[in-house]
Amino acid sequence: MKIFSESHKTVFVVDHCPYMAESCRQHVEFDMLVKNRTQGIIPLAPISKSLWTCSVESSMEYCRIMYDIFPFKKLVNFIVSDSGAHVLNSWTQEDQNLQELMAALAAVGPPNPRADPECCSILHGLVAAVETLCKITEYQHEARTLLMENAERVGNRGRIICITNAKSDSHVRMLEDCVQETIHEHNKLAANSDHLMQIQKCELVLIHTYAVGEDSLVSDRPKKELSPVLTSEVHSVRAGRHLATKLNILVQQHFDLASTTITNIPMKEEQHANTSANYDVELLHHKDAHVDFLKSGDTHIGGSSREGSFKETITLKWCTPRTNNIELHYCTGAYRISPVDVNSRPSSCLTNFLLNGRSVLLEQPRKSGSKVISHMLSSHGGEIFLHVLSSSRSILEDPPSISEGCGGRVTDYRITVVPLASVIVKESLTEEDVLNCQKTIYNLVDMERKNDPLPISTVGTRGKGPKRDEQYRIMWNELETLVRAHINNSEKHQRVLECLMACRSKPPEEEERKKRGRKREDKEDKSEKAVKDYEQEKSWQDSERLKGILERGKEELAEAEIIKDSPDSPEPPNKKPLVEMDETPPVEKSKGPVSLLSLWSNRINTANSRKHQEFAGRLNSVNNRAELYQHLKEENGMETTENGKASRQ
Amino acid sequence: MPTVVVMDVSLSMTRPVSIEGSEEYQRKHLAAHGLTMLFEHMATNYKLEFTALVVFSSLWELMVPFTRDYNTLQEALSNMDDYDKTCLESALVGVCNIVQQEWGGAIPCQVVLVTDGCLGIGRGSLRHSLATHSQRSESNRFPLPFPFPSKLYIMCMANLEELQSTDSLDCLERLIDLNNGEGQIFTIDGPLCLKNVQSMFGKLIDLAYTPFHAVLKCGHLTADVQVFPRPEPFVVDEEIDPIPKVINTDLEIVGFIDIADISSPPVLSRHLVLPIALNKEGDEVGTGITDDNEDENSANQIAGKIPNFCVLLHGSLKVEGMVAIVQLGPEWHGMLYSQADSKKKSNLMMSLFEPGPEPLPWLGKMAQLGPISDAKENPYGEDDNKSPFPLQPRNKRSYAQNVTVWIKPSGLQTDVQKILRNARKLPEKTQTFYKELNRLRKAALAFGFLDLLKGVADMLERECTLLPDTAHPDAAFQLTHAAQQLKLAGTGGSEYAGYEHNITPLHTDFSGSSTERM
Repeated sequence: MKIFSESHKTVFVVDHCPYMAESCRQHVEFDMLVKNRTQGIIPLAPISKSLWTCSVESSMEYCRIMYDIFPFKKLVNFIVSDSGAHVLNSWTQEDQNLQELMAALAAVGPPNPRADPECCSILHGLVAAVETLCKITEYQHEARTLLMENAERVGNRGRIICITNAKSDSHVRMLEDCVQETIHEHNKLAANSDHLMQIQKCELVLIHTYAVGEDSLVSDRPKKELSPVLTSEVHSVRAGRHLATKLNILVQQHFDLASTTITNIPMKEEQHANTSANYDVELLHHKDAHVDFLKSGDTHIGGSSREGSFKETITLKWCTPRTNNIELHYCTGAYRISPVDVNSRPSSCLTNFLLNGRSVLLEQPRKSGSKVISHMLSSHGGEIFLHVLSSSRSILEDPPSISEGCGGRVTDYRITVVPLASVIVKESLTEEDVLNCQKTIYNLVDMERKNDPLPISTVGTRGKGPKRDEQYRIMWNELETLVRAHINNSEKHQRVLECLMACRSKPPEEEERKKRGRKREDKEDKSEKAVKDYEQEKSWQDSERLKGILERGKEELAEAEIIKDSPDSPEPPNKKPLVEMDETPPVEKSKGPVSLLSLWSNRINTANSRKHQEFAGRLNSVNNRAELYQHLKEENGMETTENGKASRQ
Repeated sequence: MPTVVVMDVSLSMTRPVSIEGSEEYQRKHLAAHGLTMLFEHMATNYKLEFTALVVFSSLWELMVPFTRDYNTLQEALSNMDDYDKTCLESALVGVCNIVQQEWGGAIPCQVVLVTDGCLGIGRGSLRHSLATHSQRSESNRFPLPFPFPSKLYIMCMANLEELQSTDSLDCLERLIDLNNGEGQIFTIDGPLCLKNVQSMFGKLIDLAYTPFHAVLKCGHLTADVQVFPRPEPFVVDEEIDPIPKVINTDLEIVGFIDIADISSPPVLSRHLVLPIALNKEGDEVGTGITDDNEDENSANQIAGKIPNFCVLLHGSLKVEGMVAIVQLGPEWHGMLYSQADSKKKSNLMMSLFEPGPEPLPWLGKMAQLGPISDAKENPYGEDDNKSPFPLQPRNKRSYAQNVTVWIKPSGLQTDVQKILRNARKLPEKTQTFYKELNRLRKAALAFGFLDLLKGVADMLERECTLLPDTAHPDAAFQLTHAAQQLKLAGTGGSEYAGYEHNITPLHTDFSGSSTERM
């Protein structure tokens, strides 16, 4: 790819001499009779555009497509020629838009048919065009500055598109000679100048246009090299839509464009709002968006363009989009588009739909019936792009999972304590920060209760990571270390630690827990083996499992209750979620059966805790449950956990 | 980058190689020896590469379709028969078909052609193909350049002197030229023997099959990684900057961004980022990928249990729905993200953006991106309910700004109809009526289409005469006023003909007594 190819600089030279004011002799009906109009009205006579109007609107269309697809680095300089040259804009990027050009053209106005034809000539414009091609653009300047001693690598090429009404083939040759000579002269000037550049290559595109019905006095001629610097081609085109079609073909050639027709776009009918019909919209874009078709010779999917222009269009089928689809597609290219028929209803429906932020996947129509999504239309900030999606087999298919590689078996990467971890290191905390930290801690408590796996998925893990309660133990220890490291910062840091400590098991209980814990661990080890196979599979089946639970829940409820009825019995990990169906009040253990009620109250408590100062009792509680009548326990050795059960019996 | 090995099994490959005091070898044995070495290298160091094996003489055959099973490839090497003469062109056509069917036209492939430099005789010989090259039509196009990005490596079971004694070397060089210079010819240095064949294949391996190792960095966290497939050097502009850009071996993460913000960006290529365990000497222990080998297994298990930044990064990106932006070189960036291959497997992937200061227009200049905390106000809002992306372009595109195009009569007619429709609903539609009228006026002035202004003025005057008795009196005033203004614009010269001038509604007041002014 070359940035400074011929298409970096395009000079339009449009003839503004008196004969351009003549009619193109192609009528336009503008007074269309509508239904339910009063009878007997004769419509106004059709009007016709002048050669000038045809030339200007065709060149504006050329620029429209070019600016849509290449808003940067492809520049246009517009020159009008009559008794002198009028340069309507400059190479600067600010001057590169339709509004500027339209305003400048309006200021020039149509040619004056009464001006003296002897004083007027297209030559003034052509000379000015060569002059302007020698002027450096900001992109060329920037590249030269950047390249320093290699500045000569920056090329200076350009294209002159001249729309005129020539008298004969020899008149055309005279114009060519003039350009040739002017380039020669200006290159000499540029050689001795710092702010001018010599023209290395100039493509002259001469378009002779004449009224419909007249005979052309000029013959077509394909591109020919007139000198190492100058090539020239001649197009003899009738005015009106023929001229517009010609410039449309040229813009496609000059900027390597290709056409895609989106087919099967469902659209509400204007007349009947509740019906919808399917429409086609043709878009232009850089031809690289078709790279897969061009190379694989998949020509059967192409049809001919509607306007019968020289190029083929490739048809892609609209796939009704899913809503709010945030997905990272593998996209090998994204190219700006421009609708061929920008103001038609189907075009504007499509573009508005996209500009509102929706993306549309496009499918290749295949004879075999297999569905291949090959492209996507999507807007980014008011610009629509045709994305090329990879539709062939991936060379990266079936890669080893990350969980099978280095560090893949480590399951206790800290990902969820992030809000706390980033906040606690601050020197001072706000009330909100403290709440945030508390929230994080409560969330962790909640997760532990539900026996949720700590994130960083063990997805796909083959071997066993640390046991889940072990993971949690490590996590709590690390969290405590982290928070303790910062308690000297402020009283608020201290409060976070208090919250953390309150949520962890309390020392008086520790002894007891240890006693029971040891027993339980023994048993767990056994049960763990029994469910080992299941354990290995289950992590990625979590969602499946939850679904299954809802179905199986009732049947197994009885069994689950039996297990729970004995406080010492282990809770097989695979059974745990089952008890979420249970209505038992929570038993006082850091892990274990959790009821709906406890889930709910925990939620409410968490929410409430943010709104008031915590009761001393609750602060000292275990899992938000304060132990009452502790002295009774000491007296008769009754376990607190039985309180819960007693109430149910 | 998939590989196609194209092996010459013509009779000339059975020519014996004289080696002093040892058993007799044929050239095909040397070739098989070299390929075995290549396959062994790939099986250990490049195991994700897909390789296919094609044999050819006057016909060609796909012996092994694309696979990562190097045992199968190895077996096929020992099961090759000898056939007739060399016909390279048809084999290359075969390669085109095989690659395109499997991978399409966009994935780069490496073609390893193993031959003895005898290029066939008569029709179908390489000399014949090259001689007729200029007379080809589209239907019997010469297969080079390959219709996909490619490298053509020609491994000659012959030494330079032998090839230069005929025009073989010239012909083979032509082949590389025809492939746009993409490729290289390898010949045996010195006498034909196993050792020299090994050293020739060693050069190929060094050139094309050495794994790319890098260090992934994010602040204090680092991980040694292999990037697969190898990122290829990239030329931005052959004229201004002809030196291919190569990515850094230090891959520094410079930031994180939401998937919705980066929004399916176009990429040059994408690569797996595989954490590797290095021992103290810095040699690779393995990628930790499970293998049949038991020793390796235990090494892998140890590696699996050592925390690795890649796994942390992968998990975090997945949980947060974000990508990490990574610096690949000066003004060159890429992104790291979690890519799920299936429900069970997911991976850390890296995609390369096109080099340049602004690879994605909707993110703006990369150098201007920074941490949220640097912004005066959180650009994502306090409740994370907005985003600073995508950036809006300075100028709107034509489809977003209601441009006027009258190339087709229907375009003009629609615009005139809009004015008319609104004209009939005056005074309710006064604002829209004038908006459409001004749009038409501006375009007509720019296109020098003054007849249209007069025509529409006439039409509005006629509408005025057709107003029903029930019409609001204001309608007639507005229509007359609009027609007059259009005519003024059409005659030019006056202030009314200015492009920026807008026709404004006539100020009328029908609320009280008749005090309207004209």
